Amino acid sequence: MGRILSMKKIDKRFTGVHALRQVDFDLEEAEIHALVGENGAGKSTLMKVLIGINPKDSGEIHYLGHQFNPRDPRHALEMGIGIIHQELNMMDHLTVAENIFIGRESTRLNGILLDKREQIRRAEELFRRLKMKIDPREPLGRLTVGKQQMVEIAKAVSHRLRILILDEPTAALTDAEIDELFTIMRDLAHRGVGMIHISHRLDEIHRIADRVTVLRDGERVDTQRTSDVTKQQIINMMVGRVIYEQPKTKSNVAPGAPVVLRVNRLNAGRLVRDVSFDLREGEILGMAGLMGSGRTETARAIFGADEVQSGTIEIRGRRVSIQSPEDAVANGIGYLSEDRKRFGLAVNLSVRDNLAMATYDRFQRGMFINASRVRKVTEEYVERLSIKTPSLEQLLRNLSGGNQQKVVIAKWLIRNCDILIFDEPTRGIDVGAKSEIYTLMNELTREGKSIIMISSELPEILRMSDRMVVMCEGRLTGELPIEGASQEAIMEYATMGHEEVLSRS
Amino acid sequence: MADMTLEIRMQHFRAQGLKWVLAPGALVILYVFFGLFGRNYFSYPTLVNIIDAAFYIGFISMGVTFVIISGGIDLSIGTVMMCSAIIGGTALKHGFPMVPSLLLIVVMGVAFGLLNGVLVSRLRMPPFIVTLGTMMISMGVGSIVSNVQSATFPIRGTPGGWFKSIFLYLDPNGGAIPTGAFLLAAVAVICHLLLSNTKLGRYTYAIGSNMEAARLSGVDVRKWQLLVYVIAGATAGIGGISYAAIYTTVLPAQGQGFELYAIAAAVIGGTSLAGGIGTIWGTIIGVFIMSVLATGLPALNLEAHWQTFFTGVIVIGAVLLDMYRNKKAAEVRIETPADLYKTSMMEKIAALRQEASSRKTAGDGRQAAEIQVQVNAARSELKATFTKMKADEKAEQARIRAEERAADHEFSEMLRRKELAQQEENERQP
Repeated sequence: MGRILSMKKIDKRFTGVHALRQVDFDLEEAEIHALVGENGAGKSTLMKVLIGINPKDSGEIHYLGHQFNPRDPRHALEMGIGIIHQELNMMDHLTVAENIFIGRESTRLNGILLDKREQIRRAEELFRRLKMKIDPREPLGRLTVGKQQMVEIAKAVSHRLRILILDEPTAALTDAEIDELFTIMRDLAHRGVGMIHISHRLDEIHRIADRVTVLRDGERVDTQRTSDVTKQQIINMMVGRVIYEQPKTKSNVAPGAPVVLRVNRLNAGRLVRDVSFDLREGEILGMAGLMGSGRTETARAIFGADEVQSGTIEIRGRRVSIQSPEDAVANGIGYLSEDRKRFGLAVNLSVRDNLAMATYDRFQRGMFINASRVRKVTEEYVERLSIKTPSLEQLLRNLSGGNQQKVVIAKWLIRNCDILIFDEPTRGIDVGAKSEIYTLMNELTREGKSIIMISSELPEILRMSDRMVVMCEGRLTGELPIEGASQEAIMEYATMGHEEVLSRS
Repeated sequence: MADMTLEIRMQHFRAQGLKWVLAPGALVILYVFFGLFGRNYFSYPTLVNIIDAAFYIGFISMGVTFVIISGGIDLSIGTVMMCSAIIGGTALKHGFPMVPSLLLIVVMGVAFGLLNGVLVSRLRMPPFIVTLGTMMISMGVGSIVSNVQSATFPIRGTPGGWFKSIFLYLDPNGGAIPTGAFLLAAVAVICHLLLSNTKLGRYTYAIGSNMEAARLSGVDVRKWQLLVYVIAGATAGIGGISYAAIYTTVLPAQGQGFELYAIAAAVIGGTSLAGGIGTIWGTIIGVFIMSVLATGLPALNLEAHWQTFFTGVIVIGAVLLDMYRNKKAAEVRIETPADLYKTSMMEKIAALRQEASSRKTAGDGRQAAEIQVQVNAARSELKATFTKMKADEKAEQARIRAEERAADHEFSEMLRRKELAQQEENERQP
């Protein structure tokens, strides 16, 4: 096995941030090398240097034994280095085959006419080779996120790749899809492709990677064979301190705590069917279920983001009518979307504008906004949630994912919402920021706020919840106390078939 | 926040502050340029002309700035302005008193704004299509109501002629005061306050930046979007009055193209058509850049249609400059040894000068003079050494870049040869 890539003493600065400090990294042929670290540790920046999105300030890259200076991602791809981004970059309205071969379509008559049939044939052959079951004629937008990712991998592989970078490929995938992805990755490794696997899910690393490199604050902490380190050791390297990840064993909710939110036979769209549950004061109610089970849709219906067909919502015993997010906010409900860039943040506005967005009507003095109060309050929350930003004027797009998430949480706290719906609050967030968000959630419930937490990560559900409800195919299939709960029990409810649900109820 | 270092402050200035300097700077340079090379340009009448030419575009460009920041576009604003003006003039012709006629102009503008707002915010139609439609509708309505006849507003000295003085006050001694400039300034201040210090303004930015996020933050997007178009309509009404006051006669089916000047002014002033970014201040500067061009080019014996040409050049130039500035602001300067040397020498010189002045105040003149000599020596040394170091660094960088390019080329060639060889092999043994 030969070393195909070696990056030496890579240094990179951005405005106010020393993103990479003298980082060394290497990759061998047919190796799967995990790259881990907290948000802002420099993983993505290092990869952007490798594919030429960000030029390095100093350092050297040797690729296949030659000095390599990538000009841009296209150049890197030509040279055999491809990347699959965390957010998929494809065109929903085009077919799978068109997406794969965009920019290098099969043609007839010297490039005048497109040869769609040939293109589909090539795509089918590619999928056969990769053992993927996807129809190349299907418009991409109709596929699940998991399948779309497969398409992206197939697209990358259809170039002759020597190095494939996967930036959090499993973030949006179900367990079954992850298994499928790993099979494909092993298959690629077998063909000699070296892979750099960026992930926040440390469990995966031992399953898939040969070596692991840990970055912290722009510096390389260590590179190890995965067989030589434990998960706990990796976590310790990442955060520089010890974190315990243990399930909760006992509900923290006071026995007589009043019900703050009662949802009764809620129906909305295709994926919310007769959903009923209670939320008590100071409670974290975990909402589990597979992707597409209707958890997000339920949250959006309660929040008034989507139209509700029937059902009632009571807040502190009083029936309320929630027709829009505005009504929900007026009733003290805040919603943290699973997709914060699209639904949670205005990335081109400042930290302050984002923090104050839900609360401007309370900052008014007469007709005008009381700017000094806005400053005071937002500053206070930046401090309280330790949001890392050089100033309140900083544009939100310059903050790391974890800090952006904290901004969304702070937005609802400033508005003084006491019922918070957290939809995948730690998705795409590193271990350190995760545990900060967990601590914050516990603090909030101690202050009497109530939280519904939707999560695909069962350890997270088990660690945080006082009680759990499980959804499957738009219905609530089970309610479990935290005492004695297990991943297996949750999964049983989460995979319950439709008929079973009906027969039980 | 405490660790806001000087470097970050500089970055912040380059990112935010420079924006405040660039467009006004361009305006001043243009004005001085025409002053130096144009006939009689530095004169009071010319200034009045510049301000006169800024009115009607000025008002509607402020309105359109609101709409663009909210992520929309208003193509109807120019024709709505003229339609409102001609309806007011027609009313006047049919015996309406002066004040209600003028009010009618504003009401018509607001009515069209309301129509745009309802279609965009309630029926969720794309703003481009809606306002394209109302652009044609308003042009048609103006012609229908006026029966395709021009409307003439009262001239000075006749009853009702007072309204001209709102925009240009002629005092009996023959002087002219562009009072309209105060009105324009007042409207600009109001618009600025609305945008930066009220809920309406903050939500306009929020909606333009990410409408869905604003909605999910509990913002009543429909209400604020509607209001934004109403504000645009109101500015069209005020613009209509100013047009009538300055040009007296309003012809039917006019105003097409004005909206594009208004949008151009906003863009020159740094408003982003993608929404979420822009200021009233910038737009006003944009308006005046265009009106300086409109008055300055004739002073250079260039006919007025050159104005259109140069406005186009400036629109593209402004956006290019803005993109370049944003790129620069995101860049980080790395201190080279030459920079470090310069900083240390500057510090040394500053320390010496400090000492010299303290000696001088202590009455030790000779010593002070000696130190001054040292200062001068250090200065010339700094200059020579720094220039040389910089030149060397530049040469070194160029050399490295050339080497990298050569290595790059060789590498690609090698990869290509390898791939070809592989292919040949594959073909030989299928």
